[in-house]
Amino acid sequence: MAYDTSDPTAGAFDISLAHPVAVYWVALLRVITGWWFFHSGMSKLFENGLDYGYGPIYLQGMGDTVLGPLATWMGFNFPDLIAAMVPLGELLIGLGLLFGVLVRLASFFGMFFMSLFWVGNADFNHGLVNGDLMGLLMFATMIVLAAGRYYGLDALIEQTAFVQNHPRLRYLLG
Amino acid sequence: MASNQLGTIDRVMIYTSTGLILLGVVVLGIVELLDGAPYTAVKTNNAGEVVATGGIDPAIRTGLVMAGIVLLMLYGAYKMATTDSGSSV
Repeated sequence: MAYDTSDPTAGAFDISLAHPVAVYWVALLRVITGWWFFHSGMSKLFENGLDYGYGPIYLQGMGDTVLGPLATWMGFNFPDLIAAMVPLGELLIGLGLLFGVLVRLASFFGMFFMSLFWVGNADFNHGLVNGDLMGLLMFATMIVLAAGRYYGLDALIEQTAFVQNHPRLRYLLG
Repeated sequence: MASNQLGTIDRVMIYTSTGLILLGVVVLGIVELLDGAPYTAVKTNNAGEVVATGGIDPAIRTGLVMAGIVLLMLYGAYKMATTDSGSSV
């Protein structure tokens, strides 16, 4: 089936949002989620620049969690990189979602960040489902719904000849 | 097969990954409730110190959820790798 621009979510990976309100709502969720990470990254940059020292310390303290091997490996071996990539990554993920550019790629990294936050914070005082897990699921929702296609620049980028000739890129856009 | 139909691999990946997530959150959540107080994975005091833990280690539940999410990500990579030109995604 040819790519149908009149129904940008048609496909095996998406659901169709027929009602205009649903389209607005997905765009709103994308912008709010983007602002969440943009603000978090920007505030860290203002306060610490590219030297967010708590980042590697946080990962080093995740040893007894299910993501411990990966987190401690990153925290102990690449502390300077982590200290720079936490604020920078949050900022770029936020910008991607705010403007709707490379939303699926940005959301993939958002899920990676939120997985570390959810498992590492271990704030399960009120159960396993907390704000961190909901944030993780919000990024997954951005991927499944291809949220960048609703009032996002991905809708325009996907119409370029380059993307039309390389359809796999839609798994990073959208 | 139309691209908006799920094949066998699609179904296996989706059912398994979402099943793992639901097992970790809901099914084991019910088991934890039935197991009795403290009814949550972790109970802390005002100082943030853990004073009680639920009947199921949170690492098991978070591990199941993370396994489901990793599987979903692998499914996305598989879909990207097997996409042919002209298909909708």
